[in-house]
Amino acid sequence: MRRASAVKILGAALLALLFGCSAVSKTPSVPPKHPEDLPAGQANCLECHKDVSTGAMKPYADFVHTRVFVNSHGTYARSGLNLCSSCHNPAFCQTCHAGKEELKPNVKMGDRPERMAPHRGDYTITHQIDGRLDPGYCYRCHGNKSDTKCKQCHR
Amino acid sequence: MVHRKTGGYSRKSLSLACLALSVSLFLPALFASPAAAADVVLSSKTYLLFYERQYAGGQKNQYAPLYEYLSADATNLGGKPFSMHFYGWGRVDLGDDSGTGSTSGAIGSFYLEYQHPEGNAQAKVGQFFLTEGAAMAIIDGAYVKVTTPVGLGVSLYGGVPVEYSILDNGVKGGSALYGGRLFYVKPGLVEIGATYLKENGDFVQGKDLQLYGGDLWWRVAGPVELTGKYTYNQAMGETASQRYAIRILPTSTFDISAGYEQYSYLGLFQAALNPAFLPPQLNLSDKVSAFFGVLSWEFVPQWTLTLGDKYLHHDLSNPGNANRAEIGLRYSYNDKKDTAGLSAAFVSASQDVNEYQEYRGFATYSPGKLRLTLDALTQLYKQEIYDKKNQTQVVGTAGYQILASLQLSGNVTYTQSPNFQEDWEGLIRVTYDFGTSTGGKK
Repeated sequence: MRRASAVKILGAALLALLFGCSAVSKTPSVPPKHPEDLPAGQANCLECHKDVSTGAMKPYADFVHTRVFVNSHGTYARSGLNLCSSCHNPAFCQTCHAGKEELKPNVKMGDRPERMAPHRGDYTITHQIDGRLDPGYCYRCHGNKSDTKCKQCHR
Repeated sequence: MVHRKTGGYSRKSLSLACLALSVSLFLPALFASPAAAADVVLSSKTYLLFYERQYAGGQKNQYAPLYEYLSADATNLGGKPFSMHFYGWGRVDLGDDSGTGSTSGAIGSFYLEYQHPEGNAQAKVGQFFLTEGAAMAIIDGAYVKVTTPVGLGVSLYGGVPVEYSILDNGVKGGSALYGGRLFYVKPGLVEIGATYLKENGDFVQGKDLQLYGGDLWWRVAGPVELTGKYTYNQAMGETASQRYAIRILPTSTFDISAGYEQYSYLGLFQAALNPAFLPPQLNLSDKVSAFFGVLSWEFVPQWTLTLGDKYLHHDLSNPGNANRAEIGLRYSYNDKKDTAGLSAAFVSASQDVNEYQEYRGFATYSPGKLRLTLDALTQLYKQEIYDKKNQTQVVGTAGYQILASLQLSGNVTYTQSPNFQEDWEGLIRVTYDFGTSTGGKK
């Protein structure tokens, strides 16, 4: 049953690709890798780019990594992950959006305190409050993608 | 308690099949043109932690888990727009067992990608992090996206979700996940999409997960844009989540956003694997409505002020309502290599048990090849948690860039909290990054 579903899905995807290639927009795609080395620290697209991104079809101003952008980055990633991928490799996303993980992002990035890494401090304490008040926020990473350490209490 | 089971299907076999397919597609492309085999980026991050725990009864364990995180990205395979990506990690305990057994690990992603030079057409096959429309999952499967010359586009995806229960009871995720997104985009002006997602599985009420949704990005005028996202859970017969925001970016130094979001526990958590999101730990009849606002303003060069507020209303009196207000100030220096920051957050709530304050300060200093950081955080709880009303954690790190591609660093972490009267942790980190070509990847 599951194998049949997977085969159908793969077939549909390949068919869509074949038909799609004959009617693809001629707009240049965003390159798979930013062509120049990026400087240390947080990059600002607007230092070089002024117009609309070919990848995300949105102004580059949208992607300056302010706190506003970081809070809502999922909105942009869900419609144009290829622009993100131009500067960040897949492992970057999965530092937080992991299927199975044991190390907190702020432990892995302990030498990067400027990054917005959740779970700072002894979060086994504070998550009791944050989880009660806004579990939808936790669900994005922990609903189906879990840390084995959760089971010490959640059984 | 909600119980879910899986069928007899071997998730690993499909995973391996996808990987084999990826590799079989990958190898010919790699060797078709040996002169231009690929641009390769390899990254290795090794972490060795040291900490001690004393348990009731006086037992004292010493832990030393060694983690290796490895990622490899090969682009421009054979001079063609194919790329291969791998990310995974593993753990070996050098001391007492720190988790489930003395070893652990996972493959995060391993997939082949094709990126068409025009129209952002792309395809992926293998195991990858899918984020498209209503979907946000790691799947073993395929994904394809095409945009036509008139701006209409479609994305389709399907496969088996790679999900892990935190429990040792055989409960796993859905057996198949598939769907797509139909969208229209006018560059720089508007993007509107309609999404469908179905995940087959024995979820809450014994039903599959079936979502319909829509999303909008609209540059209304000048620097003003509206975003919206709506998801309806067909199986549960109610809205799973919705989020609407206005964002104004008049200059590159000023960014402000405000909006409204709402979600229902039943609609959003129907397919949860983590029991923390299911009865009896949560009452699925609750719904949350929230108003939020956030500001980021670089009021003078290098100095950035952030303000944020989120008001949460629950339909149920337990947990009740709450408000979180934040303020932060950051200063960047040393050609943006270093940052110092101060922040405070205040959570007020209709129940004392949910109220706390948080204060944090950090600074980094990177002279030449050396990097030093200090990060201190304290939280004050209105009501005692395990007989204590506060916690403090201080993290100090020191690192040295030995070679252009090799860095050695270490953390020392001090914690006192309701869990720990006094705790010290150590960490050694070795980072190795290797690339065969120039080009930015972070």
